[in-house]
Amino acid sequence: MEQNIVFRAKALRKEFGPTVALKGVDFELRPGEIRGLVGENGSGKSTIMSIAAGMQGATAGEMEYMGELWHPHTMVEAQKAGISMILQEANTIPGVSVAQNIFSGRENEFSKLGLINMPKMYRAADDLLRSFGIDHIRGRDPIDIHTFEDRKLVELVRCVDENTRILVVDETTTALSHTGREILYRLIHKMADEGKSVVFVSHDMDEILEQCSCLTVLRDGEIIGTLSREEMDAPDAVQRIRYMMVGREIGEKYYREDYDSSCSDNVALELKNLSFGPIKDFSLELREGEIVGIGGLSGCGMHEIGRAAYGLEKLRSGQVLRKGKPVTSCLKAIDMEIGYISKNRDSEALILEAPIQNNIVLPSLRSLVKLSYISPRSEKKMSDREIDAFRIKCGSGRQWVNTLSGGNKQKVSFGKWTARDSQVIIMDCPTRGVDIGVKQAMYTMIEDMKKQGKAILMISEELSELIGMADRLIIMKDFEVKKEFARSPELKQTDIIEYMI
Amino acid sequence: MTEKKLNPVLSWIKLHKTEIGAYCGLLLCIVLFSIVPPLKGKSIWAPDKLATLMSNVIVMALLSVGAVFVYAMGNMDVSIGKQVGLYATIIVALGNSTGSLIPGILVSLVIAIIIGAMNGAIGELLHIHPVVSSVAFMMALGGISTVTYNGLGSRNVGLTSIDYHLFKSPWLMLAALVVEVIIITYLFNYTKYGKYAKSIGANPVAAEQSGINLVKYKVISYIIMGFCVVLAALFQMGFTGSASDSTGTGFEMNVMVALILGGMPLNGGMRSKVSCAVVGSFTLGLLAVGLPLIGVKPNQVFIIKAIIFLVVVLITCRKKSGTLPR
Repeated sequence: MEQNIVFRAKALRKEFGPTVALKGVDFELRPGEIRGLVGENGSGKSTIMSIAAGMQGATAGEMEYMGELWHPHTMVEAQKAGISMILQEANTIPGVSVAQNIFSGRENEFSKLGLINMPKMYRAADDLLRSFGIDHIRGRDPIDIHTFEDRKLVELVRCVDENTRILVVDETTTALSHTGREILYRLIHKMADEGKSVVFVSHDMDEILEQCSCLTVLRDGEIIGTLSREEMDAPDAVQRIRYMMVGREIGEKYYREDYDSSCSDNVALELKNLSFGPIKDFSLELREGEIVGIGGLSGCGMHEIGRAAYGLEKLRSGQVLRKGKPVTSCLKAIDMEIGYISKNRDSEALILEAPIQNNIVLPSLRSLVKLSYISPRSEKKMSDREIDAFRIKCGSGRQWVNTLSGGNKQKVSFGKWTARDSQVIIMDCPTRGVDIGVKQAMYTMIEDMKKQGKAILMISEELSELIGMADRLIIMKDFEVKKEFARSPELKQTDIIEYMI
Repeated sequence: MTEKKLNPVLSWIKLHKTEIGAYCGLLLCIVLFSIVPPLKGKSIWAPDKLATLMSNVIVMALLSVGAVFVYAMGNMDVSIGKQVGLYATIIVALGNSTGSLIPGILVSLVIAIIIGAMNGAIGELLHIHPVVSSVAFMMALGGISTVTYNGLGSRNVGLTSIDYHLFKSPWLMLAALVVEVIIITYLFNYTKYGKYAKSIGANPVAAEQSGINLVKYKVISYIIMGFCVVLAALFQMGFTGSASDSTGTGFEMNVMVALILGGMPLNGGMRSKVSCAVVGSFTLGLLAVGLPLIGVKPNQVFIIKAIIFLVVVLITCRKKSGTLPR
């Protein structure tokens, strides 16, 4: 058989200080395959590909690309050579046009005597966007008028060109709209047909099983196994993959199992006739011990509701009330024991350039003050308690948050509010980019919070978790409430989707 | 198993390379200026040189230590040089008319609070970079000083009746610095004020969503710095017993240079430390006094300082490149 391999990594090892992210993995990629890469947060799945794409260097081991030794120093170099990577977080340049984003670094193709022919660039961008099947974004548009989801598509257009031989999609689909996903799927299948390779890093098992031609599972920096398409089609494939990922039976329990949606009569948070931005007259009552879910496509206004409930939006009319008092700013909200987990984890919820401990204790600092003095020991005690409770994978509380994996970062942003003992917690996409092991733990935590009488507003793009967790589920579309569902074992995704689209 | 033992050491060095660099720089200056000048028959540790050195270093250190709060937020204040000049003038003028330094100090503190509050609040409330409002203050205070000294018909004023020799004592200067460093270290590391300032520098959005009132704590940080500026002005004035229209000129830039030499990150955040200010001020002061002693001509001192500064910035402040624009 012909040894047809585009990319090969041999004994690749990566260390971050004391943490070993990759323990010497061997990885091969053949042309024409769509390789799924799954594993828990911190298993090293993104790390392999980010080294291949030049984002960071390996500690040891070597790589081969197209039969030659491969040592990219930058992502630009890797992209020119044909390895492109689309990242989870936003990666566009704000303040300029879509076309300038697409052709950044390639302006010379459009310039004459040092002047850039902008109309030509706009035309080229439009043609390129259309060739990807994207009609609603134009090259002339300022990038900022587009949503996060559409900016992700612009990134896709920028990353992929005819030279691309390997495309790495790193948990991007969670950030894409429904149509965006379709575009992405079409693209990767087209690329595979042309004999190019795609590496698909995702937490969405259904998506992986549907789209990929084979699948590699990682755990704790080691490759556990690779499944062929036939093995992926086996009836017990999902259980088998989960077992490979977690290394133990995770059991049947995933979401809440009870269907008892009773809760206290005390209103914990009341949104009263809110009007702001495109949202008109939105009302909602959240009771103690109740989980209210808000679902919909992103861009339906549900994220803005979460922000408003935390006092971050300027209201045209209406009030957010807690125990009869208005919540007018996030500072007041925190005083009234409201916590908020932003969906923009890295830019809003966390201080990345800071130790875990500083992040966890930040909202609670005032409660630690004794005659102006904050003892380092009390800080450490508080943060260690949360690190233990959430099993945050780290060396110590002094480790910086930007060295943590996505799921562990999310645990830190949960820990901030449990440390504060917030009674109302607004979570916007709480399990975004989090793997099943951690998800399971988070669902258990959310259930415990409910039992403790805390009120939870859960905003999510994942219908299954809303159905699995919420006492009441509100579906929004075009900035309006379309339908409300009560908790029930009969509730199915298919019943709900028609109200969303 | 040496690899395992070596690794923590190496990673510690990697993590603390700015601090190591800053301390090594200071050590190098001390060693160099202790060994070379005696060969030429001079000594940097001679009483008169020591006094000049102390006055140089102490005023700079008093200012830099106070500025740690503002720099930790990723901001900077370019009006502090002019503020030093103004406070020194006020202390001298009120000292002459009342016979005591206290009224001048009190008036200066009040002005420092007002300027601090405005510098801190304007940036946040009007959504402009706070350095802009400090530039406005720099120009305004410069104007006030010119008008005042024109009115006086002289370019400097001196204390007439008050004995200011106390301020020339290096020990008092050192004591003042030690007290200030202790207070600021406490505020910066063990109270919410410092912790909030660092958080604001690291990520203002996340800081606000975690319950930090940005306006309030920015104002507090600027006022803390203002108090330290008054203290520095007192010693600046006390060294000569006078103030002039050029008192404090260029101090704002010296503070910035000192902080960077000491390893302070320019965009603030968690790596900000009070020690950066102390180490940096001493390095800068030693360079100023020591370079002429080892034979560098006064007009070359600036060029040498510029080169040292550039080298330090290249070593400490450069960001890792290689990722696509974010």
